[in-house]
Amino acid sequence: MIEPARFPFVDVDPSLAESSLMPLLPLTLSKGEMVVSAYGLLDSGAAVNVLPYSLGEQLGFVWEEQRTSIVLSGNLARLSARGIVLSAIIAPFSAVRLAFAWTQSDNVRLLLGQANFFMEFDVCFFRSQSQFEVTPKEL
Amino acid sequence: MSLTTVLPSVRALPRKDKFRLMQELLTELSQEEGLEEGEYPIWSPYDAHEAAAALMMLLEQDKKEGATA
Repeated sequence: MIEPARFPFVDVDPSLAESSLMPLLPLTLSKGEMVVSAYGLLDSGAAVNVLPYSLGEQLGFVWEEQRTSIVLSGNLARLSARGIVLSAIIAPFSAVRLAFAWTQSDNVRLLLGQANFFMEFDVCFFRSQSQFEVTPKEL
Repeated sequence: MSLTTVLPSVRALPRKDKFRLMQELLTELSQEEGLEEGEYPIWSPYDAHEAAAALMMLLEQDKKEGATA
């Protein structure tokens, strides 16, 4: 049985104390030789993973070369998005393949949603302890 | 000027002006309380099931082609 990894909620605005704690997961994304470290928001309400534009650029993706068009909803519906697949490492676990809707905006967080982050990992929130646990799915 | 003297005038206002007055007062009060007006967007692409299906197809294709990353 795989032991879960425990992470702290991150205080994104110390002036707001408890109100600004967010479940931000540190992860490393890579495509070929390009590697980027980032924090992804665990967003169980999001149907898909979302990647901000600049992170995709840093990983070497060229917008015009991406052929899979993705139609998003909510506030992101007005933005174009492309489907891309990345390798992601959430330490201490092995790398997994994550598919992202790469948006043409940087005014959005890196979101980890149902397809396919929550298909790869089980997550337990312990909000009263300001912590959460992540476990890779059992194969 | 007291509330008692103002109230009859307020009650005589047309309905739309009463709403306008309420909005004005609420805005003023929220500013006094330090509450900012504005939009607070929620970025979650909720109910984007077609997008999810498209990404899952992309993953399948990626798996068939073999990991390139």
